[in-house]
Amino acid sequence: MSTETAKGLRQPKRANEALFRTLGVEPVPDDKKVAEAVRHLDEFRQKLRSFVVIMENCVKCGLCAENCHTYLGTKDPNNIPAGRADLIRKAYKRYFTPQGRLFGPLVGAEELTLETLEKWYSYFYQCSECRRCSHTCPFGLDTAEITMVGRQILFWLGIGPQLHTATAGAILKTGNHMGLTKAGIIDTLEFLAEEIEEDYEGLKVDLPVDKPESDILYVPSSADFMLNPNTLKGAGMFFKWVGANWTISSRITEAGNFGYLMDQTRIQREMVTRLYEECTKLGIKKIVWGECGHGWRATKMYVRTYSDLPGVETIPLTHIHDEAAALIESGQLKLDPTRNSKRITLHDPCNYVRACGHCDQMRVIMRAVTTNFVEMTPNRERNFCCGGGSGILFDDPAMYEYRILASNKKAEQVRETGAEVLCAPCSICKAQLYPMVKEHKLGVEVVGLIDLVGHALVFPEE
Amino acid sequence: MEQFVGQIMPYFTVAIFLGGVTWRIWRWMIPRIVHNITLSPFPGTWTAAVTWWVWQIAIFWNILKFDRALWIGAFPFHAALIAIIGGHLMGIYTLGLQFHMIAPLLVTADLSVWLSDLLGTTMGLVFLVALLYLLYRRFTVEKVRAISSTSDFLHLFLLLGIAGLGNYMRLAPDAHMTYLEARTFLTGLFTFNPVALPHNAFFMWHFLLVQCLMIIFPFSKLMHVFGFFWMRWMVNRPYKEWAPGMPGAKVQLSK
Repeated sequence: MSTETAKGLRQPKRANEALFRTLGVEPVPDDKKVAEAVRHLDEFRQKLRSFVVIMENCVKCGLCAENCHTYLGTKDPNNIPAGRADLIRKAYKRYFTPQGRLFGPLVGAEELTLETLEKWYSYFYQCSECRRCSHTCPFGLDTAEITMVGRQILFWLGIGPQLHTATAGAILKTGNHMGLTKAGIIDTLEFLAEEIEEDYEGLKVDLPVDKPESDILYVPSSADFMLNPNTLKGAGMFFKWVGANWTISSRITEAGNFGYLMDQTRIQREMVTRLYEECTKLGIKKIVWGECGHGWRATKMYVRTYSDLPGVETIPLTHIHDEAAALIESGQLKLDPTRNSKRITLHDPCNYVRACGHCDQMRVIMRAVTTNFVEMTPNRERNFCCGGGSGILFDDPAMYEYRILASNKKAEQVRETGAEVLCAPCSICKAQLYPMVKEHKLGVEVVGLIDLVGHALVFPEE
Repeated sequence: MEQFVGQIMPYFTVAIFLGGVTWRIWRWMIPRIVHNITLSPFPGTWTAAVTWWVWQIAIFWNILKFDRALWIGAFPFHAALIAIIGGHLMGIYTLGLQFHMIAPLLVTADLSVWLSDLLGTTMGLVFLVALLYLLYRRFTVEKVRAISSTSDFLHLFLLLGIAGLGNYMRLAPDAHMTYLEARTFLTGLFTFNPVALPHNAFFMWHFLLVQCLMIIFPFSKLMHVFGFFWMRWMVNRPYKEWAPGMPGAKVQLSK
């Protein structure tokens, strides 16, 4: 792809062709890209009802603009959700509607070009699929669906960010995003168990891997092994406290799902298939999910329709927050909230609150494990995205600058609470908020939610 | 021209309108709902989901909550539009006696006609003012203009033409039309025995523009009337959660 066409557009660094070939995609040459993209659009048009209804029913009222953090941060009309969807809608009208064929630009129809595909690559990787547009739209039109279609088609053409594509490659090799091997996983967990022992007066917590005959499969985010070890420790302490027979699987040590973010066919399916294969192998009776927003949605809402294995209907699937909140509500968890006494606010991860129904659980836990909890505004399902949603955690300078712009709204929200600690129970939120806090000079500490539970748990030995 | 607009074209218009709407909805029904994309918090039951849709339609809740400046135009615009469509059907069919027919003891025939006139005139003016507001907004609010195409403006101009002519016929004595004139003409059309258009150029243009609107309806964003339900059907539906509780753990939920 020539760099000339990409001029002036904010785009993440691309994955090379060889990488795409390892994922089963032969990159399409430039002169065939447009025709291929139109062919894929036609497939989606016949396959996916949400796509068709969103394409044909936007009235361009503009309500979504001020409700999208990317538009608020960049003031770029292509970042207005309706404007972003128009990058596809214009072609959709031109090729698939009589009015578009007959009247063209008059009704907003436009030929698809390589330049437009470059815009797709730029803007569909600025959208974080947070669904705030869908939540606020008078009709509920969900631009995240359009972003997903756009990213999928780009993937099939051989266009994708190095970050996402390499991560998808790591999934096929190791079953997690960070490329952790079984030896590495065991090593880290042993180290964390030692840390717990040191920090909590000799508390012995077992962090098992691939343990046969386990009842619970805990699926942590692989980022927890490197960036957020406290989340992993918190989960381990929680399972220890309730006396669960649990394990982590080294074949699916990943709560996230980058397949869901760029290739919802091959890669996403691989993840859910592995998940239920492991359940059979380890005798699992229930799956408990770790802290990851998009990954939880990709699992909770998609396994039923993506996995071919019968386990999806028989093995219950819950989030660790569901379990902790239920135990707190029944009064069985012994907690000392004074251990988390700093002024703390909660960032509601988009996928939890707008796609997975997690508003209440998080608050039940927050109130039980902290003493100085303050809500940010807006909160719950009206909350704004952190700016890193859907894995747009790019480090190349232009995109990094964008990440910080997209987090303007979040920084403003956090600042207004006057909190010292920012709880963000999602790996991608955490990865976005660490630099956000630094660049916006907020001076708050970023933590997960189950970290706080682990810290507040009162063990009988104590 | 008058014969075509009044006696021939309406049959094509209605055929295109009904056929077009059916075809569009047919197209929406071909693809599947592949995944559950319901928005949370999830409604607990279908009744709760449908109540939420009705709430959205009844007061345009999302617009009220997230864009007050748009609601000021959009809500009166749509409310007046519904009243006007209802008024055309009832007023013309009953010659303004609709309120008398509904509550004969409370409303006399004369009062009903007076009410019908009053409501019609008021709603016509509300509609026109709201329309002008929305048009002004589309021109002046940068973010809205940025995502608008020519057709978005043309729709508003078309409605402006229809509403302007309608209001003019109501308010200008020399252009006035009686319910009876309109009913006689429409009866002819509905009984496949078309009669000549009343001699009123304003009416002919009003009638022609309405037909234009009906023809473009199935091929435009105006289909959002139906699209609302098709989208809400996907994004607001119940979802059944797995129950918490960890099998095999020492601490079990006490319930």
